[in-house]
Amino acid sequence: MSQHRSAATRKVELHYGATTDVGKVRSVNEDSYLAAPPVFVVADGMGGHEGGDVASRIVVEVFAELVDTEHDARSGAAAIAELLVRAQKEINQYALEQRLGGGREGAFRWYAGTTAVVGLLVGDDDGPKWLLANLGDSRIYRLDAGTLEQVSVDHSVVQELLEAGTITEDELETHPERHVVTRALGGPDNAEADYFLLPLTAVERLMLCSDGINGMIDDRAIEQILQEVGDPRDAADQLVAAALEAGGRDNATAVVVDVVGLLTDDARGSASEGVSLEQKLGALP
Amino acid sequence: MSDDARTPRSYRPGSWYGVLGDPAQSAASLLLPPGERARVAALWELVDGGAGFDEVLDALLAGGLSDLEGFVLWSVADDLMQVVVRGPARVVLTTADGEDVLDGASAATWAERRVRGVRSTSVEIEDVDGPDLGVVSGLVRVGRVDEPAYAAAPDEADVAAVPEVEDESTEPADPVASEDVTGLEGSPEPLAEEPEIEEPEIEPLAPPREPRPQPTLRDGLSLAPVAPTPDPLSDPLPDPVHAQPDPDDEQTEQLAPGAWQPTGPALPGIPGQPQAPAVTSRPVARLVLSNGATVEVDRAVLVGRSPEARRFGAAEQPRLVTVPSPHQEISSTHLEVRPGSGADHGSAVVTDLGSTNGTVLVQPGLPPESLQPGIAVQLIPGAIIDLGDGVTIQVTNV
Repeated sequence: MSQHRSAATRKVELHYGATTDVGKVRSVNEDSYLAAPPVFVVADGMGGHEGGDVASRIVVEVFAELVDTEHDARSGAAAIAELLVRAQKEINQYALEQRLGGGREGAFRWYAGTTAVVGLLVGDDDGPKWLLANLGDSRIYRLDAGTLEQVSVDHSVVQELLEAGTITEDELETHPERHVVTRALGGPDNAEADYFLLPLTAVERLMLCSDGINGMIDDRAIEQILQEVGDPRDAADQLVAAALEAGGRDNATAVVVDVVGLLTDDARGSASEGVSLEQKLGALP
Repeated sequence: MSDDARTPRSYRPGSWYGVLGDPAQSAASLLLPPGERARVAALWELVDGGAGFDEVLDALLAGGLSDLEGFVLWSVADDLMQVVVRGPARVVLTTADGEDVLDGASAATWAERRVRGVRSTSVEIEDVDGPDLGVVSGLVRVGRVDEPAYAAAPDEADVAAVPEVEDESTEPADPVASEDVTGLEGSPEPLAEEPEIEEPEIEPLAPPREPRPQPTLRDGLSLAPVAPTPDPLSDPLPDPVHAQPDPDDEQTEQLAPGAWQPTGPALPGIPGQPQAPAVTSRPVARLVLSNGATVEVDRAVLVGRSPEARRFGAAEQPRLVTVPSPHQEISSTHLEVRPGSGADHGSAVVTDLGSTNGTVLVQPGLPPESLQPGIAVQLIPGAIIDLGDGVTIQVTNV
């Protein structure tokens, strides 16, 4: 389950783990995730909107189509873009049905939206790469040479203010509009994602999360967990646990992916490492 | 300029900007030195809209005269030619009475003429060799402009080269004399089509008068033929896109072989407009890496030791090119080459992305320059980009 080998990316061995929790305040977990090579997704249904959980689930269901597929960098971006559009349509369709057919109290206000962050392993001329996509304020981090870096750039009001120089980095955490996203799936909003393409060698560890993680614990805490916890499943667990411990005011989801090794025919090191980790954890299927 | 305002004119690629209005509309034409690049786009809009002599002169001088080191402005309306020359430029007007030479360099402010009955006009900026390329209106880099189109005079030493070109091309070297002349109306057509062979086309109309610096570079790094055509002084600036009044005219596919033209129908958009096609329908250049790899520039190309692309749209997927750097001299994402926009439309531009050890650019005929991080520089065919650690990229036409 935690190992992945396929033809285009057959030289890549991935270990990964994912954890989600409703948190300590909310009654519904509106986060959804997908961790199924070569695709990893975290979607955060819009807090406060009924149906946010439906919206994020739609994203995950739509992206399940990429499981066990192979893409290069270019077809991968096109595929992600297409699936985002499809998810957007399905969410809007569902929302429309709820508004029209519900008859319930408040049905006319029914609305659904979600963020999405996507990591897709793609082949490329000069080696496999991570094709990453971001829509909204869920995040993609990487650990490179032991250092945490936020790869995605939030589509949020505060990020725009920050880039415009209106507010400083310090004001970011406390700004009243820090949860307002400027792009999302669902609704009439701009559903164009930002894409990122990183060589595998520059990503020791990839982490996708909802803002229930990075909104509760700071980057230093995230970095420490990702640095110190060897197994990606444990790392995902501990990230969520730390977010809960810090208050758990939002649903918290973390997906952690390690590139264990670049398998080649004669790569005894990474191959044996993969086996040993599986054995060590007693997780052989 | 003859009585027939639509008689084709020709230009030779050079370093100045030629902002050439349509003579049929009595629009003014203007040449500006390379330093005036920022103003070229706005002036082109004016000229392309049919602005006459006075209107363009007003716009040109709006910022004062002292900052303007040189320019040539002229127009012909109702057989009245008006011309103003400032700075290092010369205009030769031929009338029934003989030649009249205006030399901007010898004038304190500018030299000016209002003349009727001008038969031919030559605007000379630089002593450049051909090719002479046909143009009616458009935005081009020029070293010389001739109206009507330049024909090698019998007394010129270089005249021997002309028949050679004719032999190798089906196009007549002098369209004025050709039966085809009506077909030229409103459409720039190469006066001499690109010969297939590699050597002579570099200077189809005249052999180089002095050795140029770039052959050594080419020879030293002859990874691929630098052909076709790169006249070293022809700036990658636009094929005269605007000179295509008739999209059905097949001749438009043969625009300006001396410029860095797309090989085929012109790119969408016009020079001077900040249209930045993230991905162009055709590559504007080809990169030949010192490891032998070739990459076509039809989108952003990121080159480095371990390049990363950030925050792009799904439709503008950049290409990542990894180069070896045993001594780690090359940064992980070192530089970017992409199709240019605005005044760089139709050519490739290179930008150092804040690399640790910098990038050196050697353009044909120019001294090596260190790229300033974040500042895009237009690439001329034959340019060599040096990333360090023995890695170079040669820029060629597609």
